[in-house]
Amino acid sequence: MPQPPTPVPPTAATAPVGRAVSRIGETVRGVFTVLDEVRARTAALARARRPLTRGDLAALRPLLFRHLGGLIAGIGFIAAPGLLADAPWYLEWWQDDPSGPPVQLLRDLDPASSAFYDYTHWEWYAGPSEGAERTICGPYVDYLCTDEYSLTLSVPVTAGGAFVGVAAADVFVRRFEGAVVPVLREVPVPAFVISAAGRVVASNTARWIGGSVFRGEAGFAVHPCDGLPLSVVAASAASPLRS
Amino acid sequence: MGASGSHPAVFAPVGGAGRVDAVVRRLSDAIALGLLADGEQLPSEAELAARLGVSTVTLREALMALRQQGLVETRRGRGGGSFVRTPSEPPELGARLRAFTVDELRDLGDHYAAIAGAAARLAALRALPGDIAPLRRTLDAMARARAAAAETGAAAGAGAAGGPGAAADHGAVLRRLDGRFHIEVAAASQSARLTQEEIRLQADIGPLLWLPYDEPGRHDEATAQHRAIAEAIRRADPDLAATWPNSMCSTRSNGSSSCGCGSADG
Repeated sequence: MPQPPTPVPPTAATAPVGRAVSRIGETVRGVFTVLDEVRARTAALARARRPLTRGDLAALRPLLFRHLGGLIAGIGFIAAPGLLADAPWYLEWWQDDPSGPPVQLLRDLDPASSAFYDYTHWEWYAGPSEGAERTICGPYVDYLCTDEYSLTLSVPVTAGGAFVGVAAADVFVRRFEGAVVPVLREVPVPAFVISAAGRVVASNTARWIGGSVFRGEAGFAVHPCDGLPLSVVAASAASPLRS
Repeated sequence: MGASGSHPAVFAPVGGAGRVDAVVRRLSDAIALGLLADGEQLPSEAELAARLGVSTVTLREALMALRQQGLVETRRGRGGGSFVRTPSEPPELGARLRAFTVDELRDLGDHYAAIAGAAARLAALRALPGDIAPLRRTLDAMARARAAAAETGAAAGAGAAGGPGAAADHGAVLRRLDGRFHIEVAAASQSARLTQEEIRLQADIGPLLWLPYDEPGRHDEATAQHRAIAEAIRRADPDLAATWPNSMCSTRSNGSSSCGCGSADG
């Protein structure tokens, strides 16, 4: 005769969930630590040279190149419109190319000539420009840049108290998954990572797959990653199936 | 990050016969749609040929045709390369349309409806307020362009400044926004592949999809459909969201085919 599944007390999952929260938080904080460095370097440039030009931002490259690869697929500084003396819109933005040196895609950023390129609407820009200390935009389909399902992490850059732009990094969801799913798998109950808006980023269960939306559900508890716009959601009690 | 671009979908391999024409069409439509911005540098000939899956000979022929149409400018020497030029006049669509049979147009419509319908359905299931905000911005921009078009039309009717040239410019802006709206819907589906396919279809046949609406009298109809799609996505109604691309496609293929047949007969 089949035995009913033995209910596991809620406390059984608490320790692995706590571990997952702290390790996933560490992974993401690692990217923000890099962005803090980009921010500090950019702010120093902005204070040292006025007005700043595109050429001045080239000084960031050794730092940016050093951090490309691994989780970070793209990284750079996005100037506030009107900051630079020689370009109204500009990105010092570099992408990882596994087959060669980093790639910068030069572009004439003129919102008047194309419907697409006003970057101030994107959450990775709007968040920091409106005062958010740490923004995680997405996951979203990055159809203008990489065609990848991505996260963009960003922080505001200020100089002399004024907002001058955004330091940001792209993390492909598939690489983020690679980094955090092993940690989620150690949680013995259905568990997944959600963005501040509730979008599932990575998961240990097919029922809550990346890209779907978690709108709250009985039996699930939300565990915020300290100081980050990111949470781990886990079933409060063990369920017999990861379904 | 969504602002500087390598355009994977625009530069995805072109298939079938008539590859020079296919490359010319892909790039000229991407320019008309605004996916390739004015002044933007194209990848090197070797890279572009490899990405489009054509020989450099084919690519050079296509670039020559694009240069003749004034859509690409090639500069030699240091800092040289091929650069995008956005035309002030929209490309001649009638000729392209006449080249399709009714059966081909129906088939294009079926393919487009499948992609756009699936994307709208998933968008309704998955969209968050942050995914709906760009749709609203695009709808607002369309409303402004429509108002400007109506104003220009009235001014032209009264014999004042403006005229057909300005009206065509507003039409081109609306078409670009129409393409952007559908790409944003596809992105809201959270599917990178559906989004790539929508971009590719917009770049390949976007101007044809817009053609039935390309007169001031029918702009309101297009806008009403866009609002209905955005609203169905906001209300998380996947069935309703998915029906709109189908009905739009039948409008579009009816409009296109009647237009095409009329031209063929005439």
